[in-house]
Amino acid sequence: MRHRIIADGEIASEVERFRKALLDAGERLRNVRARAEKRAGPEEAAIFDVQITILQDPELRDAVESYIRQNLCAEKSFDLVMLEWRQNFARHSMPMMRERVGDLTDIQIRVLSLLLGLPDHDPVELPKGAGAILVTHDLTPSLTVQLDPDAIAGIATDAGTRTSHVAILARSLGLPAVVGLRTATTRLVGGERVVLDGFTGTLSVTPTDAEVAAYLRRAEFEAASEAELREQAGEVAITSDGTEVTIRANVDLPEEAEQAATSGADGVGLMRTEFLVVGRATMPDEEEQVRAYVKVVRAFGGRPVIIRTFDVGGDKLPVGGFPVEANPFLGWRAIRMCLDQPELFKTQLRALLRAGLEGDVRIMLPLVVTLDELRASRALLAEAAAELAERGIEHSPSLSLGVMIETPAAALMADAFAAEADFLSIGTNDLVQYTLAVDRGNVNLATRFTPLHPSVLRLIARVAEAGKAADVDVSVCGEMASEPLSAFCLVGLGLRHFSVAPRSVPLVKRVVRGLSIAIAEEAARAALLATSPEIAEQELRRRLLAAFGDAAFLRDELSGSE
Amino acid sequence: MAEMSVTIMNRNGLHARPAAEIVRAAAKFKSDITIVRDDLEVNGKSIMGVMMLAAECGCTLQLRASGPDENQALEEIAGIIQSKFGEH
Repeated sequence: MRHRIIADGEIASEVERFRKALLDAGERLRNVRARAEKRAGPEEAAIFDVQITILQDPELRDAVESYIRQNLCAEKSFDLVMLEWRQNFARHSMPMMRERVGDLTDIQIRVLSLLLGLPDHDPVELPKGAGAILVTHDLTPSLTVQLDPDAIAGIATDAGTRTSHVAILARSLGLPAVVGLRTATTRLVGGERVVLDGFTGTLSVTPTDAEVAAYLRRAEFEAASEAELREQAGEVAITSDGTEVTIRANVDLPEEAEQAATSGADGVGLMRTEFLVVGRATMPDEEEQVRAYVKVVRAFGGRPVIIRTFDVGGDKLPVGGFPVEANPFLGWRAIRMCLDQPELFKTQLRALLRAGLEGDVRIMLPLVVTLDELRASRALLAEAAAELAERGIEHSPSLSLGVMIETPAAALMADAFAAEADFLSIGTNDLVQYTLAVDRGNVNLATRFTPLHPSVLRLIARVAEAGKAADVDVSVCGEMASEPLSAFCLVGLGLRHFSVAPRSVPLVKRVVRGLSIAIAEEAARAALLATSPEIAEQELRRRLLAAFGDAAFLRDELSGSE
Repeated sequence: MAEMSVTIMNRNGLHARPAAEIVRAAAKFKSDITIVRDDLEVNGKSIMGVMMLAAECGCTLQLRASGPDENQALEEIAGIIQSKFGEH
């Protein structure tokens, strides 16, 4: 920021310029708020009330204007005051306040761009069809809520890996994303022509006309093969030797449910509920939760909807922030936090029991490692039902209660869980992370995050066997199920229920239809005996290519995972 | 000058959204409004000021107003705090 000194005669007009920037910024924020309200509901929109109130703060205005009266230009004056306020908040004793630094940064960027006459980089201010690539350091869930998929063609971030929540959120919005680029925001100034290639994970800056033409041809080809896959997506997925595999969809936001229901999915295999919580000032009450769950259940008209209870913690912050922990992924999160706050948990369970009247709702518990956690949850579910009965509110008498197998502890005890739980669901992202002790969000470890590591495959095989022995459904939800090579392996390991991003449903169904159980089992056996992830992958790839030949729909998937 | 003391009763304390609610109410009045916690005194019409109070659940605040509508101002702000901002 340039330290420009203004003449005494310029002070009045400089103050005017600053006040106009505040007003214009407020006007833009109100537009953003209105759009967020339409797209995500009044609770999400309330985030912006705080920012609007900050823009109207008389202390902010006075402090900035007092610098201007000392002959400092408006942008430098404003920058100085914001710097000071951000420091106050960053050092604040309440974690909830430290989180507000993001709001201040947002305001600072908004007002400074107006004062400096910079092009507007606000992702939510783009016109529909803008085809913009959003390049950002990281994508927070609350920023994601504001994104307009009609204006943004893709996302590139410095932080994150392909299984981090940025990538998952982008996928659920149906946007191509390349994450973990490390220096994209510093190497680009904005406004450049770029091509984002989600298959190879590259962002080409100022490509030649010939390169752009080649990409356009490829996009056309991909759209055609995707359309072909979608045509058959409504039909069940049966292997060539007659075994049916159910492919359900993952749903992050209730708003996505209707679109997800058109993907051909056989229900919802994982509805995440923490997006009701993150970025919010208060916990959603029972009524609001009922509305959210019912919306999804109705969209899927009677098909099963598996809803996961709050998986808050780790990199997903709940209402009011979180105690700072040295190891958040090994910390107070998910079922641990819910069981320690039974009133919060029972509110969710009551809402689920009420939503159960509308269809086939099943409950799934995240990060369970002991049987006691399942038993305590079952007891709370009974209490929740009793409370509803006492209040005279209609509800399902009980719901199917399953556990997620996300840790080696749970996988090794799968037989015990299968004996008491109504179903098991393997969360592969966390299972890989905890088995290999590789942080899935660490860019430097991205190549070490290997879902096809034989140790992971052996744990999965064990869970599949335990489910079969106890006649309990075992499903897989996680990135692994949506990749052709891994899906092939999972079928071979004995899994018959998958849950993937809605966009991947047609592809996974196509893969299932093209394989036979016999070949998949032989491939899985070879992968289980492999001595490294690379060898496991080669064993699988060789057999998948033999089964499918050089199928067009597989080509990019396979080359992309090299 | 009118003065009144109130206790924060919502579990999450005076975080950003409640602070914005207080400030929006205060802005409607002509009177000057200050909120005091221990030896920290802030402008009740400044959201940054109100947030810096870091008022947790159970903490007591002094509300002060001086001007033509000082009594109504205190009553309305105290009412918002006592209603726990619609939280728990």
